[in-house]
Amino acid sequence: MRILIVDDSRIMRNIVKNTLKALNLVNETFLEAADGQEAWSILESQEVSLLFLDWNMPNLNGLELVKRLRATAKFQSLPIIMVTSEAAKYNVIEAVKAGVSDYLVKPVTQRGLEEKLRRVLQRGSQ
Amino acid sequence: MNIQYITPFIQAAQEAILQLFALETKALTPYLVKKDETLDWDISAIIGIAGEARGLVVLSFPSGLAQELTGILRGAAKTAIDDDVVDTVGEVVNIIAGNAKKGLEQFRLLISLPSIVQGPRHQVLWPSGPVPIITIPFSTSRGHFSLSVGLEDLITL
Repeated sequence: MRILIVDDSRIMRNIVKNTLKALNLVNETFLEAADGQEAWSILESQEVSLLFLDWNMPNLNGLELVKRLRATAKFQSLPIIMVTSEAAKYNVIEAVKAGVSDYLVKPVTQRGLEEKLRRVLQRGSQ
Repeated sequence: MNIQYITPFIQAAQEAILQLFALETKALTPYLVKKDETLDWDISAIIGIAGEARGLVVLSFPSGLAQELTGILRGAAKTAIDDDVVDTVGEVVNIIAGNAKKGLEQFRLLISLPSIVQGPRHQVLWPSGPVPIITIPFSTSRGHFSLSVGLEDLITL
């Protein structure tokens, strides 16, 4: 599996990556991007099977990237887990309407990430 | 003074520091600060708030504590304020502001990307107008830090 982690914080990208590795996802390929624009370039040029995406980022934010991806045929079923500090219900609703597969509020915990990952992968295999 | 809207920020700060660094915090007595006051800290992360309330949230640390907390996340000791420390402090204030929105859901708020100010006794430029700035000092077993909040119309004297 090729997993793309998008966050403008390198520390947060490392936390997500290390948490995933602690969940035994050690043989996966991890790709990283610091904003939505960089993520879009990677997604256009490389195969990605799962996306972890922050919301508040410079250049192209996570929500705008989700809208762009869902409007593009080849990314319509790409699993996207939004990992963000935006904890208000109206933010969750906005992200779900835009097309995220699941939503996780920072700070990231191993349990929270595992639960979202399992749910998204189960849905993908159905 | 109407400071009920400070509570979501205090709770979000305590939860963020506990989850990220496994560190218990104690919120000390909040106090008012003057807008032109220099801060007795080494690094501050600032988030702007817009939407149905306007203002700033500022998280300030002494360099030692900021480096120590960054070391916990990076798994390696830090001896100076570098990009990792700036990244960590910015991400913590981002998590505090984003999580505090959950306790303020009656207002639709937007948060900005964090900015960082560093240097001994630095100053934050608060928006003009009669908005009181409330500072909440926090103590931990590793040192003190503070969170300052100014929100137009929500926090009043």
